[in-house]
Order: sequence, then structure tokens, then C-alpha cells
Amino acid sequence: MSGAPLEKKQDGTGPAALISSGRHYLEGSEACVEGALIAGLKVYGGYPITPASEIMEHAARRLPMVGGRFIQMEDEISAACTLVGASWAGGKAMTATSGPGFSLMQETISFSIMTETPLVIVDVQRPGPGQGYITTSQEDVMQARWGHHGEGPIIALAPSSVQDMFDFTIEAFNLSETWRTPVLIMAEETVAHMREGLFVPDLDQIKVVLRKKPQDLGIAPQDYQPYGHDLVPPLADFGDGYNINHVSLAHHPDGNVANYNLDMHRKNIDRLHDKIEGNADVIARTESRFLEDCEHLLICYGTVARTGLEAIMEARETHGIKIGFLRLVTLWPFPQSLLRKRIKKVGTIFVPEMNLGMMMHPITEALRDRCDQVVSIPSIGALHSPEALLEKIREVVKC
Amino acid sequence: MLKHPMLKYLKESGPHGTRLPLIMCPGCGVGQVLNYTLHAVDSIIKEGGANKEDFVFISGVGCSSRLTSHYLNFDSGWTIHGRALAIATGVLLANPDLNIVVFTGDGDAAAIGGNHFIHAFRRNINVTVICMNNGLYGMTGGQVAPTTLSQAVTSTTPYGNIEDAFDLCRLAQSSGASYVARWTTAHPHKTIKAIKKAICKKGAAFIEILSQCPVHKKQTPVDMIRALKAMTVPIKNAEGSSKIPVGEFCDTPRPEWTQKYEAIIEKCAGRKS
Repeated sequence: MSGAPLEKKQDGTGPAALISSGRHYLEGSEACVEGALIAGLKVYGGYPITPASEIMEHAARRLPMVGGRFIQMEDEISAACTLVGASWAGGKAMTATSGPGFSLMQETISFSIMTETPLVIVDVQRPGPGQGYITTSQEDVMQARWGHHGEGPIIALAPSSVQDMFDFTIEAFNLSETWRTPVLIMAEETVAHMREGLFVPDLDQIKVVLRKKPQDLGIAPQDYQPYGHDLVPPLADFGDGYNINHVSLAHHPDGNVANYNLDMHRKNIDRLHDKIEGNADVIARTESRFLEDCEHLLICYGTVARTGLEAIMEARETHGIKIGFLRLVTLWPFPQSLLRKRIKKVGTIFVPEMNLGMMMHPITEALRDRCDQVVSIPSIGALHSPEALLEKIREVVKC
Repeated sequence: MLKHPMLKYLKESGPHGTRLPLIMCPGCGVGQVLNYTLHAVDSIIKEGGANKEDFVFISGVGCSSRLTSHYLNFDSGWTIHGRALAIATGVLLANPDLNIVVFTGDGDAAAIGGNHFIHAFRRNINVTVICMNNGLYGMTGGQVAPTTLSQAVTSTTPYGNIEDAFDLCRLAQSSGASYVARWTTAHPHKTIKAIKKAICKKGAAFIEILSQCPVHKKQTPVDMIRALKAMTVPIKNAEGSSKIPVGEFCDTPRPEWTQKYEAIIEKCAGRKS
């Protein structure tokens, strides 16, 4: 994969319109859009919802400045659908929503997995179910993986800072183009509305991935198979003259419908699964500290990683508790083998989450033989304070 | 062997076997509509109005939506039930130079896709919507649709339909379509002309084609096509008639969405924040 040229165009819509390198003070929502523009965002289809609307409003302001197009659609279903069409026509596309809208987008997510359509969806999570509440949450992390119908693996990232909102959005586009698949950014109200420092590196130092196209591989239109050639099939854009047929019904590699051919469907589903789950070690990332000497471990993600780390520093420095820190940067594919490689044996694994314990399930599944117990620290609608986390840790380890 | 002149626009076979004949039941009107559409497209290409690679066909789900799938030797997307227009909107926004044709059915367009339908015409996006209206859900077994006539018996209205039908042309027109026409599968030449006119127009165009479903209506295709002629009347003579008007409902061009957005891009170009 090569980096995309960020050439300056005659009409002034090149890097001149992008955020300049250096230090900025931005809201998470704004950083997300600025990152997307650097990644090459061309189309944003949106629908208002608290607490995600700021991303849409910033996209509406910024996209025409770089020659892209913004549209506010009639609902979240159609908003997500615009990304599919835009992506097929060669335009990188994204939207942002929150719980209720995320539910409506599951149809498109499932469709995009099957048609292997690169696109990026940001879920600025709020508490549910129903309209629920409009503060912060991590209650959609299981919906991200299992909310759409069928056996469809997904890539989902969990940002914890304004910097992450910028970096992870670029990474999300790169992952979606690399693996030809939808990518989710599981943000939270906290991180979308947080305002803090952002560092933008030199633009030519930022890696921007473009999808593999059949013409780059020397594949002629008559030989092109939209779901063939490789684990990640090359993707022709509309207008390229490749007569691409996008199909979500069970299909052969050439796009011909695989009627009454369950073996073919199974092969395709296995490939889709291998593409993402089989590359979990390549796709998924974790961050960790104090793993060398830790007797206990705290595993978290999103903004909880920030209060979590503060609690751990306090536990180690003031109370002498040897507790390690591990952050899931990528929620899905779940980094099971990475965790097993890094965690040998600990006492208690604490899993603070802004839900009643969701990611603690795959964590338990991965590490049940590597610890004495897994303790969930739930919170609904608010970020755990470092004090609350510390209290729970001290209570359990009796220190 | 003599080949159908439109066959060049279809994928007859590939590495994984033959694709034709179409899956449509014998006597179905959907194949006729494909033929009419390809004639219109062929005529535009021959006259230099557009290149073959400028065309994109998008459909939703249902019998009529099977037209794109793997048959067309064009860029195409066979998409989600009801969502063809939303996906077409995205295609247009990423590449406004493409000629987008949406194949849809009455259930796809007016029931599950009803909201996208009215908003696509309100926005006046540059697409041509070809709706094959057979007054029922064919693929799933002949259930009642929003276009089923009052009193009609279907598999889900065994005692007769108590609801009234949508007039899709009036709906498209009042939503803001630039061009609206209704014809039937029994009017090939008029239909081809209307499709060609619709594709050549900048803006949202709607072509409704009343079509026969011999299987679920349990009638012969010939009788049904005759009935389509008998039950329709040219729009200019429709006043006071109980028959269904056919012809052009409107031809009122107004600025198209991407044309208007272009002015915003020009105004904003190069600005930083």
C-alpha cells in the first residue's frame, strides 16, 4: 500500500485547505473531521443526533473547502447508504451517529461487509436502551460486533483523546481501504466533546492508504472479478470501465450469483472472516504499562483508559499495589492472541467499562486461565473517577 | 446465430457459468423494461450523448431489482431493499458526471423506500428512477403493496384490500421531480422515448411503468398486456375518465442538487477553517 499523493490542485482544494501541521486546540469532533479530510474524505452523509451532531456540522462547514460534498439525509439509514454509493464511485466517505442511529445503520454495515465496501462510521456513544440518556457511554461495543445480521467480522477502534479522534480517524480510513471493509470508530460523548491539545505532524509524514484497484495490478476489465483475485479483492470504481457488479446475495468471485451453491457461499464467508479475524494480530493494537512486574491488571478502552491509568499510578505509587495497565485500542477484531502473548499470570483482572460489563466477556474468554478472577467495574452514563477505580482495586486486593 | 441487439449490454456468462436467461417468470414485464431501458441507453450512446462507462445502474431488492445484479455489463449495484435512491445519492455526490439509473419496484420505492423516494425528488438529485409497478410484492409471493388497487385480493389481503393505492407519479411530481412520466409494458416506443428523455435531463426524473405479474395475478401475459392498454388513457384525455392516465405528468427543469452545491464549493475553495 502506498501513501496517497496530497498534491496541490489548481482549484486550491489541495493541502492548502487542510489543517496545518503544528499544535492546535480542538474539540474531539473537530479533530475527527480534520483527520478525515487528511485521509481524503470526499463525501459525508449525515443525520442529526446528540451527541454526534458536532461532527456533522463541522463536516458541513469543512467539506466544500476541500472540494468534497456534504449532505444531510432524511434518516440514519439513508445517511449510511450514501457512504456505500460514494465509496463505489471512488470517494472516501464517512458519517457519525449515536446509539439510536447506530441501530438503524446496522443494515448498511451488514451490506457493506458482504459487498466489501470501504467506509467509516463514527458512533459517539450515549447510554441506552431506547432514547436512554445523552451523556457518555460504552454501551454499543457489542452492537458494533454483533448488531448487524449474519457472520460479518468488523473492525472497531476506541479513541480516548482528541489526538486519538484525529489519528484514529485517519487509521480507520486506512484500515477500510486496506481491508476493503467498513470500519467503526467507537467514540464516546466524553471524547467527542472534550477540548484539548492536538498535534498535527507534517502532512507528508501522514500515511494515507488508497484501495487496491484492478488497473494497478494489470487486471483487464474482461478478467476482473470484484470478489476474486486475492484475500482482499481489488476494487474498481464506478466509471473506470470495469463493469463492476456489486452484489450482497451469495456470490461467486466474479459477482455471479451463487444460486443453490452453499459451498460457494461458505467459501466466501470463510474468506471474509479470514480477512479480518485471521489478521487480528496485524489489525488490532493494544497499549500497556507495568506488565513486567504486575500482580494484577486493569484492562480498559476509550476514555476509561485515562482515568484507569491515573488510578493505577496512584495504586502503585501511594499504595504499593503492583497493578498493570492494558488498553484495547482496537475492540474488534478482538486481540485475543495478542492478550495471551502479553499476559502470563496475574491475580485479578479489573475491567472498568461505561456499561454493565460487555468487553469483560471476550477478555474473560481470552484470559480465564491466566488470572484468578475477572472483576467488572461498571458505570452507567458517566466516566468512572480515578478515586472510584482506586477504591474498588484496594477493596479487592485488600490493600 | 442471430443475437438480440441488446445482448451486448448483458453479461451472458463468466468463469462461474452462464447468467442468462434472466430469472424472471415467463411473461413477466420486468424483462421488457430491461429491453426498453437498454434501447434508450443504446440510443444515447450511439448519438454520442454519453459513453457506456458513464452509466451506473442501482437497484434495491425485489423482482425488478434483479435487473442489475449480475446481468448488466455496466457498472452496477444491487443494493438494500428500499435504499437504492439513498445509495444513488452517494454515487452522485462522489461523481456527479455519472448517469445514474435506478431500477425499482412499487414495494421497494413506495413502501420501505418511501421516505428516500420523496426526498430524492425534493432534492432533485440527478437520477432517473424507473419503477416497475405490478401492484404487488412478486418475489415474496404476491402480497399487498402500497400500489395495490382497493378491494384487490392478494396473499395478505385474502378478504380484499381495504387501503387505497398510491399514485406514484403524483407523489414524485409533488415531491419536486423535474420529469415524470407513466407508461406501461404495452407501450414500448413511448416508454423508450420517455426513458431516454429522463436520462438526458439534469435532475430527478421518474418513469413509472405499469407491468404485469401473470404468476400472482393468475392471468395470461397476453390478457394482462391487453388489459394494460385498455385500463389506461392518454393524460390529455384523462379528465373525467376512470382510467389510469399515461403520458408525461411534468417536464419542469429546476437546478439540480450537485449544480447548486458546486456554487458552495466555489465559494469555499481553499478556505482553511
